[in-house]
Amino acid sequence: MIEPQGMQATSLAHEKERALVAWLRERGSVLLGFSGGVDSAYLASVANEALGPDRVLAVIGRSPSYPAEQWRVARDVADQLGLRVAEIDTDEMHDPRYVSNPSNRCYFCKTELWSKLGPVARERGLAVVIDGTNADDIGGHRPGMRAAREHGVRSPLVEVGMTKRDIRERSRARGLPTWSQPSAPCLSSRVQYGLPVTTERLAAVERAERSLRDLGISGDLRVRHHGELARVELSREMLALWLNPLPMRMIIAAVRAAGFPRVTIDLRGFRSGSLNILNEVSAA
Amino acid sequence: MNVENLERALAEIGLHGIVEVRGSLAVLRMDAEGGLADDELRFRAVDAAERHGFTHLALEVVDDADRAAIHRD
Repeated sequence: MIEPQGMQATSLAHEKERALVAWLRERGSVLLGFSGGVDSAYLASVANEALGPDRVLAVIGRSPSYPAEQWRVARDVADQLGLRVAEIDTDEMHDPRYVSNPSNRCYFCKTELWSKLGPVARERGLAVVIDGTNADDIGGHRPGMRAAREHGVRSPLVEVGMTKRDIRERSRARGLPTWSQPSAPCLSSRVQYGLPVTTERLAAVERAERSLRDLGISGDLRVRHHGELARVELSREMLALWLNPLPMRMIIAAVRAAGFPRVTIDLRGFRSGSLNILNEVSAA
Repeated sequence: MNVENLERALAEIGLHGIVEVRGSLAVLRMDAEGGLADDELRFRAVDAAERHGFTHLALEVVDDADRAAIHRD
């Protein structure tokens, strides 16, 4: 019998999940770098079920680049799953190599994170430190992954070949509230390379994005920080709704109030890694 | 990247404004949103920017206070 394509994909994702469970059981216990995003929430759910709550510790790294809203989601998901959670403060904002915002900025941030989580895992007798990197993340511009490798962090979702689509599908099947949540990278990813990352700039981005969400903008949304100028990226559906005179004025007013003198709307809309594309051309 | 050619190309599809260049980002400054909620028009504008070497095209609607600043020497 020929199965519809969707069913084949579902069955494949389920198979990968079984491989993930086996992978986790082989390790016995894990410390998970936990952000409350789609990937780490799914991984936490599977790990908690496969190993039991005493053998899983989810650690949230807190810093000004981690949105407060994301922290609330992370805590809610953790409560829902019955996860053991710890929080640590990370100090990347005191590292001038990070603050200067080079294109490999993530390397310095993740180095800071993993160098703090490794000792926590050893102290608590947890076998391995894992993260929520997935198979789609391989090959892109991800300097943070080098830091993970250097610190012996494993990425089980990559190792069993789980893509973002697989993860969303299985998250939905598990009833996780994150299954349809847009990707939420750290706030520093909004700041144009070369423009120093400061707590003020991160706070302005966070205020602007929160205000736009409050207006009713849903789906993918980024406020890119280009100094005095903000460039708002919306999904295609939202562009068609919000590029009309009155809604557009509302966007401009909200983003100005968040601290940007100039407000622009990107006409192509949301693009993952948008600033990498700008940077590549500038570097060339 | 040629800003005058991009301005001309945008004007040809009804988008009259000044283009400010910031690396490979082109900022189109206009006094209204120019009907860009329309997918087709927006795609044509982005396509024009890409044909002229820009990776990004962003719209800035300037209000009365800003309008005086829209001129080029």
